[in-house]
Amino acid sequence: MKEVIVHPERCVGCMQCMLACATAHSRTRELFSAVLEIPRPKPRVHVGVGLYDEGFPNRCRHCNPAPCQMACLANAISRDPAVNTVLINPDRCINCASCAMACPYGVIRFHEDAVAPPGKTVAVKCDNCDERRARGLIPACVEICKVGALTYEEMSAAMKRKTDEVARTVSVCAEKGPLSPGFALLNAIKKAQLTT
Amino acid sequence: MFDPKDATTVTNDGQLLLAKAKNDQVETVWDRHAAQQPHCGFCEMGLSCRICVMGPCRVDPFGEGPQKGVCGADADIIVARNLCRMIAAGAASHSDHGRDLIEVLAGVAAGTAPGYKIREVEKLKRVAAEYGVETDSKDLLAIAAELAQAMMEDYGMRQKELTLVKRAPAARREIWRKLGVTPRGVDRETSEMMHRTHMGVDNDATSLLLHGMRNALSDGWGGSMIATEISDILFGIPTPRKTTVNAGVLKKDQVNIVVHGHNPVVSEMVSKACQMPELLAYAAEKGAAGINLVGVCCTGNEILMRRGIAMAGNHLMTELILATGAVDMMVVDYQCIMPSLGSVAACYHTRMISTSEKAKFPGMEHREFRPENAEEQAVGLVREAVENFTRRGNVYIPVEPAEAMGGFSVEAIVGALGGTPAPLIGAITAGKIRGAVGIVGCNNPKIRHDYGHVTLAKRLIENDILVVDTGCASVATAKAGFKMPAAAEWAGPGLREVCGALGIPPVLHMGSCVDNVRILVLASALADALGTDISSLPIAGAAPEWYSEKAVAIGVYFVASGVYTVLGPMPPITGSMKIVKLLTEGLNDVVGAAFAVEPDPEKAAVLLRKHIEGKRKALGLSSLVV
Repeated sequence: MKEVIVHPERCVGCMQCMLACATAHSRTRELFSAVLEIPRPKPRVHVGVGLYDEGFPNRCRHCNPAPCQMACLANAISRDPAVNTVLINPDRCINCASCAMACPYGVIRFHEDAVAPPGKTVAVKCDNCDERRARGLIPACVEICKVGALTYEEMSAAMKRKTDEVARTVSVCAEKGPLSPGFALLNAIKKAQLTT
Repeated sequence: MFDPKDATTVTNDGQLLLAKAKNDQVETVWDRHAAQQPHCGFCEMGLSCRICVMGPCRVDPFGEGPQKGVCGADADIIVARNLCRMIAAGAASHSDHGRDLIEVLAGVAAGTAPGYKIREVEKLKRVAAEYGVETDSKDLLAIAAELAQAMMEDYGMRQKELTLVKRAPAARREIWRKLGVTPRGVDRETSEMMHRTHMGVDNDATSLLLHGMRNALSDGWGGSMIATEISDILFGIPTPRKTTVNAGVLKKDQVNIVVHGHNPVVSEMVSKACQMPELLAYAAEKGAAGINLVGVCCTGNEILMRRGIAMAGNHLMTELILATGAVDMMVVDYQCIMPSLGSVAACYHTRMISTSEKAKFPGMEHREFRPENAEEQAVGLVREAVENFTRRGNVYIPVEPAEAMGGFSVEAIVGALGGTPAPLIGAITAGKIRGAVGIVGCNNPKIRHDYGHVTLAKRLIENDILVVDTGCASVATAKAGFKMPAAAEWAGPGLREVCGALGIPPVLHMGSCVDNVRILVLASALADALGTDISSLPIAGAAPEWYSEKAVAIGVYFVASGVYTVLGPMPPITGSMKIVKLLTEGLNDVVGAAFAVEPDPEKAAVLLRKHIEGKRKALGLSSLVV
């Protein structure tokens, strides 16, 4: 089963995932018209700012067991084991914010939404683009990410790739260098700017 | 926990006024900078391209995503095109400023610019002679008319090369000729750059960057140089004079008018109006003890250099100056005027006035200044500022002003040396002065405000390196006290002795950012006196806190003129390590100078000292190991 996997060392902080996520969860699914919708669509993935102004795409980990699910007395939160996704039912949600208090990653937001009853504020978070996947598409944040900071793949494949990456660094005569020398140089300069 | 983002400014007035602004719930440049984090990495690396609508495109710096734009441009081409368009924008800004001055000169000649006049007859004749205008038997206005016309022609493309390129040392001109980068027309090079960077024109990074040099040279030895020369002719050649600096130059009991921007065409007229007896009497009638004109940014530097008018602050201080509540009117022309200023002023009684047909801002009233109406407009505005004095609320002027000395034009420096650069060369040869560094450029919220400028100046003078500065850098060092002759005590023994003998500060204020050309002229004079090229001299440049496209053009014309230049913030080029290498190493083989990037001014000082001692060694002078 494929999952969305985050590679923070590759995030360049462009925030394209946020735009794509909000658009994918709009009524019209087009950026130009989505910004005119009421309620205004909002992203489920949030790019945070690190200590040295580096980006980090913060999205729901779909924990198992999920603290949000255990905290939800209204039974609005459930797990779909077939796709390893924790889902919120906007009709059952009572907007009590217990899930957000329980969530260790701060990824649950509260606002009106295209799929919620009109005028009702509900808890909203990543749904792994279940609607897009039903149409044979991959999650919107992954599709838009051009640097490989978000990938959609079998966990085992990602693990193997990472294992091989580590293995290659200890090879005899290994070339030890950053993934992208230019990005590493930029980050070194930014760190120096902030610490002087 | 250590939070680097708490670092904002090293200035006392800045810290106090930032606290006041926060208390008044005024949003500042630092708030907006924080809100923008993280910056987009594609854009920071120069890897995003918005030039055409087959795109926009971006290239994955990790090598797995897209490696080419829709047109097929790779990272090298995209980075080069983006950088070159920055150069074009910077060159266009300075050069268009120069054009406005030519129009005033032409207006003076035609009698349609009342209030402006030729103040420097000798300089008019000297520059006219360089332009091949016959000066012996003509009256002044006829010379001015012909000079204005000849300079206008420099903007077009009928020239083989710009007139003032002749001022560069012969060896330097030969390098430019061989490379094919001698600038031909001020507007031509910018226009050609926009053409080359259109989709499907120049797609060779090296060829693009070579034209980038030609475009920057058309600014340094063209548009900017013309701007400085005409400003001197119309408003006077700067001579050393005392002034005061920092937010404390605002006066609680006087009408405070602040001029902001770059072009002295507006600020000079406002300055004149502020001295009119009837307006001073009107101020007294309204309960004010006088009319206090002060500057911020480079138009402030222009009037500081020529009139000793006080300087309230540099780029990152412009919002905070308004937060004093003491500014009755701010008059702006163009460049570096944050569009936020209108909303800051709305929190106080301050009236904001825009004056240029080219530059309009939200929350400002527009009063257009043209050569024919400038005098009249200025008088009207000063009268309204006086009226606004009565509407002041609470005023907070947190500091006492610092003393400084400005006005070191090339003419003034050579004058202080006794009419020839020989004593300076003697001091350098003897090793009392190891060399000279020009610290130039802006402020940038990425670097703690003024920390880069002040730290670098301190380390250089300690090591007997004479500092000349312009623009926002010059305001930073003035506020820190480096621009008084007494600051020589902070200099190394050799520089201290020379400064003491001449009665000059160890950091010399050479003007606004277009006045960087004064540094080129001085460097050429030194090179000519030594019979060598600029790139052989023990000199360097630094832009520790630069932010603007103009600074990119300045950096490139400095390096293309043979001056090693250390930048603080990284330009958006790291998407192409080929271009990083070319600009930081490869250019040495092409123009005998290159860039370095070092945001830590302590380390930048070491780089500059190493460079200077290396050049001394090559000249056969005593050299130290750094």
